[in-house]
Amino acid sequence: MSADGRTVVGNDQRGSGTFEVRTLGRDALVLPTVATSAWRDITIAPPPALRLPVTLMPPAVRSVDVVPGWPRVQSHFFGRPATPPLPVPGRPVAPRPPTQPRTGGRRTRIGPPRDVVKPSERFFYLLQPDLDTMLRGCRLGFPRKPFPFQLEGMAFLLPRHAAVLADEMGLGKSMQAISSIRLLVRSGEAPRVLIVCPKGLVSNWARELADWAPELCVAVIDGDPGRRRWQWMLPDVPVKLANYEVLVRDRDLVAELGLAFDLVVLDEAQRIKNKSSQTNQAVVSLARGRSWALTGTPIENSSDDLVGLFEFVDPGQISDRMPPKAMGEAVKDHILRRTKDKVLTEMPPRLDRDAQIELGPEQRETYRQAEEKGVLRLAGMGRQATIQHVFELVLRLKQICNFDTATGESAKLERLTAELEEVQASGRKAIVFSQWVETLRRLREKLAPFGALEYHGGMSTKARDEAIRKFKECREHSVLLLSYGAGAVGLNLQFSQYVFLFDRWWNPAIEDQAINRAHRIGAVGAVTVTRFLSTDTIEERIDEVLRQKRDLSEAILSQADGPTSAGLTAEELFQLFELPVPQRTAA
Amino acid sequence: MQQQADGDPAGLSFGFLTTLESPVHGLFGGYLVVDSLGRPLEFHCTAPVKISRAQQILYGASLDSHLHGQQVGGALLAEAKAAAVVILTDSEQMLHVRPHTSLSVALVRREDVSGRGLGVEEFSLGGAIVRPHADDVSRSADLATWLATLASAVDLCEPFERIRAALDEATRL
Repeated sequence: MSADGRTVVGNDQRGSGTFEVRTLGRDALVLPTVATSAWRDITIAPPPALRLPVTLMPPAVRSVDVVPGWPRVQSHFFGRPATPPLPVPGRPVAPRPPTQPRTGGRRTRIGPPRDVVKPSERFFYLLQPDLDTMLRGCRLGFPRKPFPFQLEGMAFLLPRHAAVLADEMGLGKSMQAISSIRLLVRSGEAPRVLIVCPKGLVSNWARELADWAPELCVAVIDGDPGRRRWQWMLPDVPVKLANYEVLVRDRDLVAELGLAFDLVVLDEAQRIKNKSSQTNQAVVSLARGRSWALTGTPIENSSDDLVGLFEFVDPGQISDRMPPKAMGEAVKDHILRRTKDKVLTEMPPRLDRDAQIELGPEQRETYRQAEEKGVLRLAGMGRQATIQHVFELVLRLKQICNFDTATGESAKLERLTAELEEVQASGRKAIVFSQWVETLRRLREKLAPFGALEYHGGMSTKARDEAIRKFKECREHSVLLLSYGAGAVGLNLQFSQYVFLFDRWWNPAIEDQAINRAHRIGAVGAVTVTRFLSTDTIEERIDEVLRQKRDLSEAILSQADGPTSAGLTAEELFQLFELPVPQRTAA
Repeated sequence: MQQQADGDPAGLSFGFLTTLESPVHGLFGGYLVVDSLGRPLEFHCTAPVKISRAQQILYGASLDSHLHGQQVGGALLAEAKAAAVVILTDSEQMLHVRPHTSLSVALVRREDVSGRGLGVEEFSLGGAIVRPHADDVSRSADLATWLATLASAVDLCEPFERIRAALDEATRL
């Protein structure tokens, strides 16, 4: 069609006529105005012209981005880790793990600590294999299969530079620490480790290390100064083991030698709760990369205990001016605490009972006279009475509750003897705690038929180890008599089914520690705990105070508001005898 | 990127490629390269890709191939430095990455508890079933040998859990 329009004449397709179409250019089309057909001579009337617009307006174009843009990619490179070194030749190797990795099921993973904020570092932890796979990779086996919560404890410790493992006693804190140390040593992350523990537990730790990490070389730091200097300097010994007293003595030597550790582990770390103590200052002064504290009682008496502990773990993290709730929030990511009832549902039950002991007539009379005399003396002293005077009276009365100082009569001993007969008859074992070595000695004498053995601070380490060995291995020794001071921590006596608290300690946490020597992992049956309590005596009154103290630790650790102190205060001591508190003492 | 296949089996690297669909952010891709003990060597993740309704309509059946294979998978592999002997994925769509890489690709899935047998070209390794991409079927024997090294240390389905945990973290960062 031309722009100016034209007429087109065409033939009918069938060749029987013609038609004419006239156009009017691009803008209009005129339909046929004349159409004749020769075929059958029919003339069709021309239709009226119809004008139709044909201009095509360009449509609006909408572009759709159908190709999604290339996404931005974030990359993190971790480097090829060193191949785990083989165990040291000549050292025994713990059993290897099963040959096939676990498929499915719950895996224990290492999560990034809260204070790790750099994405690369967080991804590094998140992308590590689960603990089972890591242990397999390092070819590390265990003498006994760890509980899932113990693997979780390791997953907690491994990524942390500041950590407090505050599991209840008996849950295997040392095993979790040793297994974590193994992984860090084998991976090359911590080739220099120092473990510090109470003196009485050094041999226990050495045994545990040999049991759970037989391939690790361990140097026990002891002996005279020259020997210790040599031991501190020993190269190629990944783990050094020292007691707190040695560390305090060698503080300057360690500094002089310029020793630095990749990891320092404190066992029974409540030892450093006093910030101003030499022990605290000695451990705080150690040059170290990681600081781990193991304690079943991070808070024994007041929240200040935790402040002292964190002077080592993470200095500056908390202060003694913080309210308990804020303190709990600040330490939350650094503390892991599990209790037996939460994690060991399959553990044998612990049966607690209070044995109400009625003093015999003579013992009662001796007690009555001593109390009356003591109270009258204190009252007579008036403002001159000190907490020391009250304390002396308490101790004296408690001793009378154990044994009548005049006649040697002991209602508690009678009850204990009766109980032990049953224990012995059933072929089981019992441990008995007292706060006095003198009481233990008298008990040993009286309980000779049961093969009673002693274990207290008045004995040499060798003698104590021998007592433990005999108690464990010899059937004729049914009873072990322990002092709270020496026997409440670190010992594994899970083969004992009975615990007797012949007298009560001042702090419930210590009593729990003592009980957990028997009620711990590996316990083969229910553990029965008997607390002897002489009725209508000072023991009952102290028991009431102790009950009120019991919840303090949990209050802080669960970030709840709670009392800031649970120690037996001067006021509480005076009130045991319903005495007014002298003004200067209370202040 | 050169595929490594010779030498010490302990020096081999393995790639794990998967995606995480977030209803809020879109599709995240993650690529983890591990050593023969399953320890991480590299990790790459994409920013989320959100697909519009129009794109879904216009790409139709080819969307998966383009999005997973080229856009996400291709972008991730382009950033990798370590040469994996094989890239494992737990997502059928991710097999579309094969035309965009010279590396072998295989789909891995947990062994069927119902006892469903192995499909053609599939092989089983430590509780996981591996199906090489059609282009890599001829290398099945090699793949089985290399992956057996890894499977002796790691459950082959496990690294995907790590990637998802990391992608989950990435959504929060």
